[in-house]
Amino acid sequence: MALMPKRVKFRKEFRRVRDRKATKGNYVAYGDYGLQALDGLWLPGKVIEAGRVACQHFLKREGKLFIRVFPDKPISKKPLETRMGTGKADVDYWAARVKAGTMLFEIAGVSEATARSAFARVANKMPCRTRMVTRRIAV
Amino acid sequence: MKKGPVTLKATLRPKLGSRYAKRAREKGLLPSVVYGHKLDPVAIDIESREAVKHFIAGEKVFTLDFPGRDNSDEGQTVLLKALQFDYLGNNIVHADFARVDLKERVRTKVHVELKGDAKGLKSAGAILIHPTNEIIIECRVMDIPESVTIDVSNLDLNEAITADKVELPTADMKLITDPHAIIAQIVEQKEIVVAEAATVEGAAGVAPEVIGEKERAEKAAAAPGAKPAAGAAGKPAAGAAAKPAAGAAAKPAAKK
Repeated sequence: MALMPKRVKFRKEFRRVRDRKATKGNYVAYGDYGLQALDGLWLPGKVIEAGRVACQHFLKREGKLFIRVFPDKPISKKPLETRMGTGKADVDYWAARVKAGTMLFEIAGVSEATARSAFARVANKMPCRTRMVTRRIAV
Repeated sequence: MKKGPVTLKATLRPKLGSRYAKRAREKGLLPSVVYGHKLDPVAIDIESREAVKHFIAGEKVFTLDFPGRDNSDEGQTVLLKALQFDYLGNNIVHADFARVDLKERVRTKVHVELKGDAKGLKSAGAILIHPTNEIIIECRVMDIPESVTIDVSNLDLNEAITADKVELPTADMKLITDPHAIIAQIVEQKEIVVAEAATVEGAAGVAPEVIGEKERAEKAAAAPGAKPAAGAAGKPAAGAAAKPAAGAAAKPAAKK
């Protein structure tokens, strides 16, 4: 578990619906290029951290990376070979709620070719389909 | 400056709602709305492919080639106010236009282009950040520029260009964006150590603090006549003791 909240209101949470389309956080807001998720999923904190490490190892000290998602949803899991019942299990990991279209990472201050190469490495770490996008038309 | 407003072919949208808008999009039309000048809003359809081509080119002012109803929307000059995208940002699904006169002063967003190689970028680890690539200006409709160019060649490390330093093309243009808003900045990229610390913390299995849990536990302990361990320890013990007893008592009774 790499990332998790410092303080929470409730220790555990309902599972809730996962596969929806993103209506916010679905455009490049801070950087020049972004990596967009094309599927809805719970993205574990350690996967976000793996993506960050892969990107920053490639970029070295060039450019600025923005992480647009944060794992604030506790996911509980029963231990193996445990009988059902006796209440909700302990928290196993923390995940970010990612909907189809959510922007996962953004990069600023690098060329398009560099950003594409960096995002290709990040995409390999992601458990979903992704694509690189640029800023939208400004009106 | 641009030559003149581009003409867009438009038709009246007779049926409103998402179902009819979807059908219009399938036919290659873009559902839009025209409002302003204290007249009723009018729902229209425009040719999607042609309109998007102009939007991408940065056009903002259009003339509507619109048969119109009995109102005076035929040949109306309009300003592009907003665009709506689908969830992936692939397609434009709706456009908002405001009725304007060419000599009217309006507020609009203008794209900012950075020109030149900043001298601060030559030092190791320096990166150019531009938090926003647009500024809001007030000007006459006919004077709306396609973009505003800023020269960043003299920008050094840890220096920034704010919105008030942007030179607007004509003197009667007024900057509406916050004058202190940073348009371009050169900062030194530092290695992130915070996340590594978080990793170590996470590995140790530290659970996040639950808001108000401490206070609740303290209150329960301080309350007169409270159970000795009212917290987490109290519940299972009470439950474990109570359940078998209740079960043992109830079952034989039921058999009889």
